[in-house]
Amino acid sequence: MTAYVARRLLILPLVAFGVTILIFALLQFLTPEERAALFITDPRQFGQIQGIIRKYGLDQPVHVQYWSWLKQLAHGDFGWSQTARMRTAEAIGAFFPATLELTIYMFIPIILTGLWLGTKAAVHKDRFVDHFSRFFAISLRGLPSFVWGLIVLMIFYGWLNWFPPGRLSLEADQFVHLSGEFRVYTRLMTVDALLNGQFWIFLDALRHMAGPILTLVLVEMALLVRITRSSMLEVLRQDYVRTARAKGLDEDVVIMKHARRNALIPVITLTSLLFVGLLGGVVLAETIFNFPGIGKWGAEAAVQLDVPGVTGFAMFIAIVTVLGNLAADVLYAAVDPRIRLQ
Amino acid sequence: MNLKRQLLGLLVFALAVALVGIPGSARGQQPVKNPDTLIIQQIGDSETLDPSQAYDTASSGVFLWNIYETLIFFDGIRSDRYVPILATEVPSVANGGISKDGRTYTFKIRQGVKFHDGSTMTAEDVKYSLMRFMLTDPDAGPAWILLSSVLGSEVQTTRDDNGKLIPDIWDQANRAIQVKGNAVVITLKRPYAPFLNIMATWSIVVSKNFVVRNGGWNGAKATLAKYNNPPNAEDLTLFSKSSGTGPFKLEAWDRKTGTTTLLRNDSYWRAPAKLRRVVFQTVEEFSPRRLALQNGDADVIDVDRADQPAATGIPGVRIVDDLATLQTNAVFFNLNINPEANQNIGSGRLDGNGIPPNFFSDVHIRRAFAHLFDRDRYVREAARGKARVANGPIPYGMLGYNPKGPWYELSRDKAIAEFKEAWGGQAWDRGFKFTLLFNSGNIGRQTAAQMLKEAAEALNPKFQIEVRGVPWPSYLPQYRGRRLPFYALGWIADFADPDNFAGPFMHSTNAFAGPQGYKNAEVDKLVEAAAAETDAKKREQMYFQLQQIAFRDVPTLYTTYPVRFVVMRDWVKGWYHNPMFFNEWGYPYQISKR
Repeated sequence: MTAYVARRLLILPLVAFGVTILIFALLQFLTPEERAALFITDPRQFGQIQGIIRKYGLDQPVHVQYWSWLKQLAHGDFGWSQTARMRTAEAIGAFFPATLELTIYMFIPIILTGLWLGTKAAVHKDRFVDHFSRFFAISLRGLPSFVWGLIVLMIFYGWLNWFPPGRLSLEADQFVHLSGEFRVYTRLMTVDALLNGQFWIFLDALRHMAGPILTLVLVEMALLVRITRSSMLEVLRQDYVRTARAKGLDEDVVIMKHARRNALIPVITLTSLLFVGLLGGVVLAETIFNFPGIGKWGAEAAVQLDVPGVTGFAMFIAIVTVLGNLAADVLYAAVDPRIRLQ
Repeated sequence: MNLKRQLLGLLVFALAVALVGIPGSARGQQPVKNPDTLIIQQIGDSETLDPSQAYDTASSGVFLWNIYETLIFFDGIRSDRYVPILATEVPSVANGGISKDGRTYTFKIRQGVKFHDGSTMTAEDVKYSLMRFMLTDPDAGPAWILLSSVLGSEVQTTRDDNGKLIPDIWDQANRAIQVKGNAVVITLKRPYAPFLNIMATWSIVVSKNFVVRNGGWNGAKATLAKYNNPPNAEDLTLFSKSSGTGPFKLEAWDRKTGTTTLLRNDSYWRAPAKLRRVVFQTVEEFSPRRLALQNGDADVIDVDRADQPAATGIPGVRIVDDLATLQTNAVFFNLNINPEANQNIGSGRLDGNGIPPNFFSDVHIRRAFAHLFDRDRYVREAARGKARVANGPIPYGMLGYNPKGPWYELSRDKAIAEFKEAWGGQAWDRGFKFTLLFNSGNIGRQTAAQMLKEAAEALNPKFQIEVRGVPWPSYLPQYRGRRLPFYALGWIADFADPDNFAGPFMHSTNAFAGPQGYKNAEVDKLVEAAAAETDAKKREQMYFQLQQIAFRDVPTLYTTYPVRFVVMRDWVKGWYHNPMFFNEWGYPYQISKR
């Protein structure tokens, strides 16, 4: 198992570099002027395009550009991200913790409710719970997340004023960033707030995450409900479930221990993909709720052709994806002893 | 894709409008929220806070006259009258501040003004600030404004064509700007009428000690090469820290959330500001901005003209419309299109399936389009009725704008007559086909393109114009490569002077006319002469003359002079607007919230 994990970790750098080569290859489809447009936003700057191209070496052959980028990387410098207005590594360090925090808070209700509702639906197949969960899932998935986002924003900010957009309220933000009394330990706002003993900051941060969490839980849970349901239905038909029932075991034990554990494999696959997907940032929710996550930045870097930004972002996401899949593999072995990692 | 986007847009709009119907819990007589803090929510964050680098309204709007100040400033709502701030008087010929030949300006520097770091401002700081602005000169920055006005219009940058620093550029600047006692004396290469106006915006004074202490340029010739055009924005010392003389100090710029916080400068050289803090927040989407305004979490928000209805009628919110702004929008003909790998001109010949590269060099074609473009309808549809129709480069309200200047009347018959005259009648008989591009997302430009297409195609079935939106990173290189046949762009004033409009729009070596391939020796001479003329009456006549030529030659279809509007809580007091302000929120020094 350890050897397996180590081997998987060893290929990490390879994957990361593969991604960067891919991105630089794609660069060949862009003209130097197209990339210079990142810096030129006004007709007043039109005369200076040539200077920009020369300054950043945008007209050099792609392998030369890649080589100089690698040399930079050897010094631990991922380059300057114009869209983040900071160095790329700094940008990832700034935006990722916010997304990670959001993902963790989203993930717990998604898993708990998804598993619970999916199991209920399978056990009570063709009964009210089943129909309700199906209707619920289809209607939630049916609307794009930004529509849910706007609805949530309108009700919970515009109307009730419970869940404002952004990261923190003005007072909390000033206390955290300007008062000098707030120490940063983990960069996860809620955790740092508790470590500082500032419960009101914890609540404030939670209030600001509630909008995107609510939106994405509604949208993402639906899929999990459906997969859990169908996987459970499959397992419930198995002989060993019948045997367990025949032994006279309590129905709850049959469902929880014998059936559900075996139904978890596809669910783990899905949740690991979901987790990695959420970590990559949720562009629409982050944009609508003005949440400073990594997805919003990555999307802007891509649209603006901010090459150092996009490359760093893609590398980072590749690493997260590999780690996410690895975690899923380890989890498979944990729930199903028949699967052995070698 | 397009339909999908439009549908999404419609949905967002409908939802936003529906909001007005939702009864807010925080409606009615709301107590003033955050009474000491002005909160401004903008679409975009600053690019940099270094005055020698910033050349976008979001950046300059944050620091100018808040953190940093200039030698002279605009007098109230006037963009052509000045009051001294860091100087003690506005130079004039009468007070001896401007020499008789119009070349030498003497600014007496105010004594006892303290920078935020506690040091005292001197004439040496002023000279250093001007030199630093001119000579660090990052690409796509504003250095050219002072370089060309002080060292002559031929000096637009500090580097030669190979990107090398010009060896004597430091000496030129050092000779032109001199400290004499408590005064800074600037000698221009040639008399330049707009110079005072330029100084009102661009003579931004920074603390030399502060810059040097933080590892920045020390002002010496020997070290300039190291600090000229640095690779990254953050390499310029004042990128994210500052020491100015203004009523507010930079407290924090959080680039992660796009939040800039300014704190009152209690040892300001005038009475301290009434506000304790000014906070600029970046919120890209309109819906959260609008809700923040409604809930009192924001005091002023950015609103697009298209979103104005959704921001109207919110209790406790005030909209002030028709704010003067110095801006000209236009559609440009390309008189000499680059045919190489150019898909915008079809076959490249006048055979009904394309246009030749010099298609628009025939003035009759240009006049025909001028007769076709319904500018009143354009103002109604693209600007919701809030703009003036344009008749030349110089915007309404500026010296040189001629309200009686002629322009083409909307006439189908005259357009047909002009088309029939163009290209010896071939343009009419064979027809043409080309692509009209706009940068996607710009609704105004899209509307103009669509209107031109419809009007032309209704005249003759052989006329075909394809309208296509492309993202900015594709639009720009096509523009620069002279591959756009016919395109829309706009210009906002760098300084409130007609030269900043007549030059770019009409002079053959300048921003627009150059790439457009428009060259008229008479125009070039007039633009140069008008820039040097100090007699306002004579200047005005020259610009009137230029307008006549802009009408006669019509290389450019002038469309509108837009006006702006501001959306703010009605508890914002002391707000006023000047056309030269970078944004609509006014001058925070004079604002209070009660």
